[in-house]
Amino acid sequence: MDLFEPTRLAFHLLLTGDPGLWRIIWVSLWVSVFAIALMAPLCIAFGFMLAKRQFAGQRAVVVLLQALLSFPTVVIGLVIYLLLSRHGPLGAFDLLFTPWAIMIGYMVIALPILTVFTVSAVQGADPRVYETARSLGAGRLQAALTTLWEVRFAVMAGIVNAFGRVVSEVGCALMVGGNIAGITRNIPTAIALETSKGEFAQGIALGFVLITVAIGINVALAWLQGRGGLE
Amino acid sequence: MKRFGDRVLFDGARLELEAGSGYVLTGANGTGKTTLLRIVAGLEPSESGRLAFCAQASTVLDYPEEWRREIVYVHQQPYLFRTTIEENLEYGLARRHLPNAERQARVREALAWAGLAERRDVPPHKLSGGEKQRAALARAKVLDPTLLLLDEPTANLDGDARRQVLELVTALCIENHTVVVASHDPEIIRLAILNRLRVSDLRIEAVE
Repeated sequence: MDLFEPTRLAFHLLLTGDPGLWRIIWVSLWVSVFAIALMAPLCIAFGFMLAKRQFAGQRAVVVLLQALLSFPTVVIGLVIYLLLSRHGPLGAFDLLFTPWAIMIGYMVIALPILTVFTVSAVQGADPRVYETARSLGAGRLQAALTTLWEVRFAVMAGIVNAFGRVVSEVGCALMVGGNIAGITRNIPTAIALETSKGEFAQGIALGFVLITVAIGINVALAWLQGRGGLE
Repeated sequence: MKRFGDRVLFDGARLELEAGSGYVLTGANGTGKTTLLRIVAGLEPSESGRLAFCAQASTVLDYPEEWRREIVYVHQQPYLFRTTIEENLEYGLARRHLPNAERQARVREALAWAGLAERRDVPPHKLSGGEKQRAALARAKVLDPTLLLLDEPTANLDGDARRQVLELVTALCIENHTVVVASHDPEIIRLAILNRLRVSDLRIEAVE
């Protein structure tokens, strides 16, 4: 197979601003960013509570979340499909095959990643952080925020990881989004579709964007950690 | 009273502190000096006990939040937040919602007091052990607490670092703060300005 020609075409599509291609990129990015932005505060708070508070069943919740990390996304897609389908309990909202359905799926996929990373970060934090903050007059919430700030890079690694997972996820997005051009077609579903049609140029272009996004985010995180040289 | 498995500490023990006085807690390792300081600071849950502070009474189970503004505990190995020394000192003042100008003035004064004025922008990991301890003392002093609890402030220090911390601890007592120091350091124990209290599992007693 000639790889040169599809690659040349891929860069042509990217550089000429092909509207169809950029629409796909846009759908992927905004849905993923919104899903993570909505879930991150909730999961970080939940993760902090799981790490710090003692309650019955705490260990079981952590084990369940860890198990969810490796849960097949296509099964998550199936469950959400059933919930959102016309005869499902949430069918009245008419969300199936919309970007919102994909976002719900992404939120479910991101939940265990964000929470488990936070639990791990907070459990790994020096216990003197929280105590020092409390002793200097911080309330419980402020002391919790101080602790999270001290382990922010570990928490941010969770956010980056979750984003990387959802932005490249295909099974759930395909099932609940339907891969509708201009509406729910995103980078991974478009790559799968174009490749199955033997149209490699768009797939290569989108793959290039996906890899650039992944590398870009990790470089940004490393840069922030480097600034933490202060830290 | 504090229970560690079968072991019970301070059952029926009583500790009374006079405002403006300095105290040193002595006693063998594991007798509960640190635990006692942490209970007073509201950092260590304990089974039962009553506390009275500034004409307000409470129980250890219901530690009043406002006391945390007046009672400051400094760990044996203090934790400094991952930012500059200056911002570490500002942390507690910010929690008290003091105006920015006052915060800056108090931080400058405390940094000079601890001999860290030149190190204000330095992150904690670039400080020596002695400098970290002095920064922690300055971070506590800047808040002007009613009661200051210091856990082994000279442990793991020697030479000049230990001498400088000793001078700061002495200065805090002379400045009329109410200070309680848990220590094994003979030089701290011998400080004339400090009242000596011996801690054992069951009681806390004054030593002449």
